[in-house]
Amino acid sequence: MKKSPNRLLGTVFGAVYILVGLLGFTVTNGVGFFATEGGLLLGLFEVNIFHNVAHILIGAALLIAGLSNVKAARTVNSTVGFAYLALGFAGLLLVGSALNILALNAADNVLHFASAVVLLAVGLGADKRAAHATA
Amino acid sequence: MPAITRTWIAFAAVGTGLIHVALVIGSPLALGIPLAILGVTEFAWGIVAFTRDKLPFARAAMVTAVSPLIAWGLLVTAAITLQTPTLAAVLDVVPWGIAAIFQLFVAGMLSLHARREREGKRTSAATPGAARYLVALMLGALAVSALTTPALAATEAGIYAQPHGEHDDSFTPQRDAPTSETGEDLFTVPLHEGH
Repeated sequence: MKKSPNRLLGTVFGAVYILVGLLGFTVTNGVGFFATEGGLLLGLFEVNIFHNVAHILIGAALLIAGLSNVKAARTVNSTVGFAYLALGFAGLLLVGSALNILALNAADNVLHFASAVVLLAVGLGADKRAAHATA
Repeated sequence: MPAITRTWIAFAAVGTGLIHVALVIGSPLALGIPLAILGVTEFAWGIVAFTRDKLPFARAAMVTAVSPLIAWGLLVTAAITLQTPTLAAVLDVVPWGIAAIFQLFVAGMLSLHARREREGKRTSAATPGAARYLVALMLGALAVSALTTPALAATEAGIYAQPHGEHDDSFTPQRDAPTSETGEDLFTVPLHEGH
């Protein structure tokens, strides 16, 4: 793990996302599963229950891949990075609309873009030789 | 080339590309078309640079990194000499200057690498520790986003961008606000008074 940036990033991001998903439930009391208006995590990031579940699932995928091997970590980091990039752009259009089933706000979008940049940069850029070999 | 340096160069190229594409809006057509091509090329080169062990088209990239700087210098000189405020307004120092910082970084790193290679010094892709690589990558991403954001905000596109959730007719672009001090007189020569 100390030698692979993808495994380290996957493990750390995975653990953080699971923690964020669990903490999300502390601010979503009485909030509907797909509610467009959610609770504010850390007073800044808007979440609903669907958003929390998504955080836990994404965190679990990153964590399991990070703990497994380089190839899995690299694939999951890149895939989740692409997904976050798409979600970041979609979020710009969804904020304030009735289709905002993740209760996204502007702070969420910024964090999704930042996660996308880091995950994609590491997923595409690091461990290239290791990915070709049997990792 | 060390993996960390390559990542920073790629981030800088992506940042420059974004700024150049944003500068297209509000530019005259003759400047807008080359800016769009340049911006898209820089952005794509930055993304490809992430995915390769060696930087692609290193020599051409060096020329591409320096040429907008020369063009900016010539255009600013032309705007001042010919007293054309419309051209001067397009060449705002904030986005062009920040793009210039990125370009100088890319060109400098590429030429340093080329010289090392010529002199036969160690050029193999060094593999840093995972934690060191991640910290360096995040620092690079932070630095580039911290510089790119004000640059984009200062472009014509950024000036007309509205804050989130405030889309209504009462919005006044920053530049048209009554107490605006955005340095519009940057390239106008002060009148010579006295005697």
